[in-house]
Amino acid sequence: MDLVLQQFFTGLSIASILLLVALGLWIIYGTMGVINLAHGEFVMLGAYSAWALKTFLGLGLLPSLVLIFLIVATLGWIMERGVIRYLYERPLDTILATWGLGVIMQQLVRLFAGGELRYVEMPETLSHSTFLLGVEVSVYRIFILLVVAVLFVVTWLLMHRTDIGMKLRAIIQDRDVAACFGINSDRIYGLTFAYGAGLAGLAGALVSPLKSVSPEMGTTYVVDAFMVVVLGGLESLFGTVVSAFLLGELTGIIAYLQNDTVAKALVLLAIVVLIRFRPQGLFVSRVRS
Amino acid sequence: MTDVNAYVPVLRRTWVQIAIYGAVCLALFTVPTLLDNDFLLNKYSRYLVLGILAMALSLSWGYCGILNLGQAASFGLGSYCMAMSLKLRTVPVHTGAEGLPDFMVWNNVTSLPWFWEPFYSLTFGIVAGIAVPMLFAAALGWFVFKGRITGVYVAIITLATLVVVNLLIIDQQRYTGGFNGITDLAILEIFGMEFDAYSRATYYLVVAVLTACLFCALMITKSKTGLIMQAIRDHEGRVRYFGYDVSNFKIFAFSASAAIAGLAGMLYTVVMEFASPTFLGVQLSLGVVIWCAVGGRQSLLGAALGAIVVTGMQGALSESEIFLETWTLLMGIVFVAVVLFLPKGLAGLAEAIVERLFGRGPRSAGDASEFGAAPAATPAGRKPEAAE
Amino acid sequence: MTGYLELEGVGVSFNGFRAVDGLNLSVRQGELRCLIGPNGAGKTTALDMICGKTKPTSGTIRLGETVLNRLEEHQIARAGIGRKFQVPSVFKELTVRDNLSVAMSRTTGVFANLFKFGRDSDLEDLHRLADLVGLGGQMDLPAGHLSHGQTQWLEIALLLAQDPDVILMDEPTAGMTAQETKKTADLFKRLRGRHTLIVVEHDMGFVKEIGDRISVMHQGRMLAEGSVEEIENDPKVREAYLGSGGISGA
Repeated sequence: MDLVLQQFFTGLSIASILLLVALGLWIIYGTMGVINLAHGEFVMLGAYSAWALKTFLGLGLLPSLVLIFLIVATLGWIMERGVIRYLYERPLDTILATWGLGVIMQQLVRLFAGGELRYVEMPETLSHSTFLLGVEVSVYRIFILLVVAVLFVVTWLLMHRTDIGMKLRAIIQDRDVAACFGINSDRIYGLTFAYGAGLAGLAGALVSPLKSVSPEMGTTYVVDAFMVVVLGGLESLFGTVVSAFLLGELTGIIAYLQNDTVAKALVLLAIVVLIRFRPQGLFVSRVRS
Repeated sequence: MTDVNAYVPVLRRTWVQIAIYGAVCLALFTVPTLLDNDFLLNKYSRYLVLGILAMALSLSWGYCGILNLGQAASFGLGSYCMAMSLKLRTVPVHTGAEGLPDFMVWNNVTSLPWFWEPFYSLTFGIVAGIAVPMLFAAALGWFVFKGRITGVYVAIITLATLVVVNLLIIDQQRYTGGFNGITDLAILEIFGMEFDAYSRATYYLVVAVLTACLFCALMITKSKTGLIMQAIRDHEGRVRYFGYDVSNFKIFAFSASAAIAGLAGMLYTVVMEFASPTFLGVQLSLGVVIWCAVGGRQSLLGAALGAIVVTGMQGALSESEIFLETWTLLMGIVFVAVVLFLPKGLAGLAEAIVERLFGRGPRSAGDASEFGAAPAATPAGRKPEAAE
Repeated sequence: MTGYLELEGVGVSFNGFRAVDGLNLSVRQGELRCLIGPNGAGKTTALDMICGKTKPTSGTIRLGETVLNRLEEHQIARAGIGRKFQVPSVFKELTVRDNLSVAMSRTTGVFANLFKFGRDSDLEDLHRLADLVGLGGQMDLPAGHLSHGQTQWLEIALLLAQDPDVILMDEPTAGMTAQETKKTADLFKRLRGRHTLIVVEHDMGFVKEIGDRISVMHQGRMLAEGSVEEIENDPKVREAYLGSGGISGA
């Protein structure tokens, strides 16, 4: 029983990080139709920001979080204004462009921060374990879980309870009509992209004490997060939560069973089959033709 | 003739294209007479092989709108087929003639697996090097295109499939050599001619295949089938209402491209003297997309030259670590710029320049669609007066 | 009376909304039938179902002996149905000549077309068609550079090149000048007999000019059918158009 619970908490922890990365990707993909292959690099930049703030300014992880969000969000905003917005008519080319931008960011980090692994300290107040339902759980992982929950609620409120969110949903439905009603879709797109990037940056900062930080670290995140988004579908934010939970638990079990390669291949095959038969995602009832 | 104003841009006329393609291929054939350096020839052969690979992508992506991010899967499969045949022609050090390949012995395999047996025949190996990737692509294409999956989803499925194939090859070390790939190969010998990696013969072989592939692909694009492929790229839905089964045309373009990529993969094994899982790597597969985009996805020759130039420069700079790092950064910037401003790549740029110098079109020079902006961005109502 | 193209009790719904419901339509071979009705009557959806763009959820659609319901778009096209769309749909990146060449689809296989380069045999047909619609001088211009009216003409020429038994036209004169509309009417009158035409139109002047029989749709159903006079004097039709200024103001 303890083993099952332990396994459940591990899966939940993975799921929370997945959700955090996927949330940003979902917003960008779901609202703008842009598959942002540079999303993993935003995660990486978040992690490096945490490292740099600590190393050069002596700022601990917790005080830096807001700053990191702003830094990466600004970068995202610049990227959207500078490149992505010219490609809304050419969705295939956004894949190429964002991938190219990812390469550029990786390479810049490699040139200026070096290619070697970096480590970020865990905040001392959170670096111990506690017992939950008789199972030993890291406090830091619980902290991440709570942060993700809060960010999820904030995102939902932003989408459904604010002026900008309403405009955003109008643009998703029909950009041209929204423009006719005086909604400045350019501004909204820029802000959305920035917000998505900022979330990815936060994800990177939060995982940095758990994993080593390297220029390539983003690649795995973007693949996993993309799987979450595809599985959850674009229609609802809650689909994303369910699929993050499923994939997190699944990954936990796979890691436990230790047959990594075959498991990875099977998951990818499952994604291929899923896209083939349900490109609209698992948790969407029916999309208009 | 009724269309007195009929005018095809200079670089898109069939005869001009044949002349240019022929001239480039001839020039490539003369390189060894000017250059007596087997080491350099080997390097150039490598670039040309990658040129064939990029050209194959141009056929499916540039002409049929299928963004195949898993092009390296076909390339790698071809490469492994050739390597298996050549491996069985070496005399293993430990087991003597007709014995097991060395890496199988190291992995405690006791007898040759059944799917290795036919590769004792070099003919089978060469046929398989084209047929295996082609059939694999046809099956995947059937699965994807019959389900009317388009656009970004095709890109993702092809990329995921590539990773799966790559993982399986690495995982099945006992039969594939795993991470190390298949090394220590015999020299390819066809009709008594030996193709040592560092020889003129191999260089000529590569150029000959490149020439054949270029002209075959050119023929496809100039045929009615090629025209329908382009119509599909432009407006897939409309093509159906003329009675064409769109999925069949896409499967054709996809597998023809895979067959050429497989052929290139076989040559790559000959030139590199080994096969490795990196030949089916995501890195290479995305690299092909860059070369193709930079050279010009809608030009077969442009894509091939794009690959040759980019990999050539990369090779020249790879001496120094710092240069290579900066180079990757530079390539990323160039790539993004090309995607943004030159969707037709350098070939499109050349087309526009030639048009300005020699063209006599009804359109004013510097037409928007030649240079940058995607045709969709052209104002719908714009009609040049001179055409009347 | 059974017609050549026959719709029996055809219906379709989108998310519970029945766009077309129990539609019956019978068109004789060689007839030119106009299909009119207020906005949202389901005219375009009816054409969509005939050409396979939308699959009907009930009823049958037959062309001669062939049941079209379950066929895919390309099979329906091969059975002899051609369609002109409301928003002109041509291949913008291809030249006018290549557009026409693609439309000329007597052979539809991949390999049957692989060794076809000779435009020679088709060349004259292409030029004849291009001249017919006034695009003879623009053969090598990408279709994306044509004006809206010219694009309309190009798509009509594409249908002529395709040469199907049945031609479905969705608002062919939209965006045309009065003169061009007249030219279109003349063309349609010439096509009648050799082809079976169904024309969806809002312009009543045009309908009067070309139509011998008119079908009126309203709220997804067939409301009335008859000659121009019969339709104009039909009280049900007047009622359906009430508020939009009568039938001629539609």
